[in-house]
Amino acid sequence: MAYKPQYGPGSTVVAENRRKYMDPSHKLEKVRDISDEDIVLLMGHRAPGAAYPTAHPPLSEQQEPDCPVRKLVAPTDGAKHGDRVRYIQFTDSMFFAPAQPYLRSYLESYRYRGVDPGTLSGRQIVECRERDLEKYAKELVSTELFDPARTGIRGATVHGHSLRLAEDGMMFDMLQRCVLDKKGNMVKYVKNQIGEPLDKEVKVGKPMDDKWLKAHTTIYHSLGGIAFRDDAEYIEWVQRIHSLRTKYGFMPEE
Amino acid sequence: MAKAKIERTQKLFLKALKGKFKEDPQSTSVVYAREGLKQSPRKREFLESGKKMEMARGISMYDPVRCHLGGIPLGQRQLMTYEVSTTGVFVEGDDLHFVNNAAMQQMWDDIRRTIIVNMDLAHQTLQKRLGKEVTPETINEYLHVLNHAMPGAAVVQEHMVETHPGLVDDCYVKVFTGDDEMVDDLEPQFVINVEKLFPAKQAAQLKAAVGKSMWQAIHIPTIVSRTCDGGTTSRWSAMQLGMSFIGAYRMCAGEAAVADLAFAAKHAGVIQMADILPARRARGPNEPGGIKFGHFADMVQADRKYPHDPARASLEVVGAGTMLFDQIWLGSYMSGGVGFTQYATAAYTDNILDEYTYYGMDYIKQKYKVDWQNPNEKDKVKPTQDVVNDITTEVALNGMEQYEQFPTLMEDHFGGSQRAGVLAAACGLSCSIATGNSNAGLNGWYLCMLLHKEGWSRLGFFGYDLQDQCGSANSLAIRPDEGAVGELRGPNYPNYAMNVGHQGEYAAIVGGAHYGRGDAWSLNPLIKITFADPSLKFDFAEPRREFAKGAIREFMPAGERSLIIPAR
Repeated sequence: MAYKPQYGPGSTVVAENRRKYMDPSHKLEKVRDISDEDIVLLMGHRAPGAAYPTAHPPLSEQQEPDCPVRKLVAPTDGAKHGDRVRYIQFTDSMFFAPAQPYLRSYLESYRYRGVDPGTLSGRQIVECRERDLEKYAKELVSTELFDPARTGIRGATVHGHSLRLAEDGMMFDMLQRCVLDKKGNMVKYVKNQIGEPLDKEVKVGKPMDDKWLKAHTTIYHSLGGIAFRDDAEYIEWVQRIHSLRTKYGFMPEE
Repeated sequence: MAKAKIERTQKLFLKALKGKFKEDPQSTSVVYAREGLKQSPRKREFLESGKKMEMARGISMYDPVRCHLGGIPLGQRQLMTYEVSTTGVFVEGDDLHFVNNAAMQQMWDDIRRTIIVNMDLAHQTLQKRLGKEVTPETINEYLHVLNHAMPGAAVVQEHMVETHPGLVDDCYVKVFTGDDEMVDDLEPQFVINVEKLFPAKQAAQLKAAVGKSMWQAIHIPTIVSRTCDGGTTSRWSAMQLGMSFIGAYRMCAGEAAVADLAFAAKHAGVIQMADILPARRARGPNEPGGIKFGHFADMVQADRKYPHDPARASLEVVGAGTMLFDQIWLGSYMSGGVGFTQYATAAYTDNILDEYTYYGMDYIKQKYKVDWQNPNEKDKVKPTQDVVNDITTEVALNGMEQYEQFPTLMEDHFGGSQRAGVLAAACGLSCSIATGNSNAGLNGWYLCMLLHKEGWSRLGFFGYDLQDQCGSANSLAIRPDEGAVGELRGPNYPNYAMNVGHQGEYAAIVGGAHYGRGDAWSLNPLIKITFADPSLKFDFAEPRREFAKGAIREFMPAGERSLIIPAR
């Protein structure tokens, strides 16, 4: 029987969103346009148009050992060119941001090749070869996984995911990397992800409204959203996993 | 929304939230004033002091306006104060860093400088080998000599240097025994009186455990253990013990029997507070990484003072344990820096963990009829997987919902590791107090971690990926390579060795299992009795109150040096 990923349990919109985002066969809804140049500016790893710095020569130019694994695994574009490994890091507000840290890591692992996601409570980083990263980052920012007000692109000083929102609905950012232009209802990044001022503003779109956020979020939250308690199937599944792990800590002979 | 399974209108954290934030605790938005450092009196003091120090030493130092994030200082949101739980005392976060808190330093000093040494072996040597008489009178005389010698005074020799009594006044020795007649015959100044210090039921258990044997609770000078290390304690003590026996019992200083006394004092009759660690940790005995959780639960004395509140007793262990294991052990011995304080304080400030734990108490009382305010072994629930799953799920969901319903509470515990430790501690304590089984408590901890992670799609820092997501599999295993009963685990247990936000709570979960049963001790009655001593500088029955006193600069520690330095 062929393996069919189930992605996760749950009978709620939150659970359904989690499954959708993880499932590569689900095409992520594009919500905003963002240019390649703007993505490069936001991340701040290289100047737009500059050549990709490399960590090693292109694979075609270096002597590869006779290795069966190398024959099995096709290199990504970035690996082929010898790109260095760089990152993008997100902070997701617990007030119904669409993506949340573990979900991000899971969906990136399902959808992208050659990635190294890292998951914390207040941030989630994904590292990979630079030109692959730019492609992935563009999807992460331009689709339903991102909300300009509740999702932050933050390399350092990420503080904000659990804080009350600012009076304009934006997630707190100590460095104020992005601001809400109230006139045009548009979020603009004025600093890159590690807080260096940008020469030009990068517009990442209008904040999504509450209805949209709650329809797209992947966090359970009893204040205005779906309480975890209300997803009985999900809780039962977690209990089952825990019980089985506990039991097999004993390595029973059955 | 489905409701919590029990009603609990009392929210212990509300007073703190109202004191900390001027907005409604349930507000979801706020105007971030970005007032910077000057909003905090303590930071203002630091700025002023930093300037003075800079001028005095001619080298730059505290300069946050320039050095923090290239010109953006701390305080872009409100720099919160914290109420040390149950004390009503609000303090600045800075005051809970152990460098800024003399009570915290003294708590660890008092553990590191303590050693327990058996007297029976020495008495047998004196009586059987040397034919000397040992009576209450000779023991009193010996203790008088010992309390002269232990701080660093000469007993037998001529022309010896000695320590200044004003520098070592915290050093002394008392004895304890389960023999009431002997206690009556000894001078009260030298005795830890179990009968008087413990509730009757606990005293009876402890006296039965100790029997007629006699033990010395020794505290060497704080200044010595600070200058040297925990491994010094048994050596310093053994030297002074040997000399005191020689002096008090008129022995020959060089006779072979002295070797027996020395062997008893250094090895055969010694209880260290902490085991020696493997070479890669490079720590001797009596250093924090070697303290077994069961022993730590015995050091903290809140169950003696609050025998009818096992939750309170356990929460005091959490406070003491997170301070020692997170702030001092992991935060400084093992890692360095200042960040660990923020993790640890979440567990003993603002009554948040207290609220979640008492919710668990209400739940186990209502559903399982556990009379937790009358600790006993008879009404404990059988620690089945179903029971652990049920208690944990309810306590974890309640805690998560409190964070959600009170956004200022979430803002208070702004880091996932803080929330993870606090939620799991409430679950672990509820399970261990309900069942009287520490490993059931640990198992509840790990289910909570999984629930938390799935509910919010986040947990703590990277470290939680290891310990907490594989913890289910080792929490009930008792084979040594996979696990051990909680009492015998410690900060250097394989999966626990590098993870902040856990160890103090684990110690409390272990303690909770025994406090909930009404046991007089968790792992070692001798340690329980030793730290009941009211002459200790730090009051181990009230660690959180002591920390609060330290924070507001009202705690007087040992380790005086003003006698030997220029006056300011």
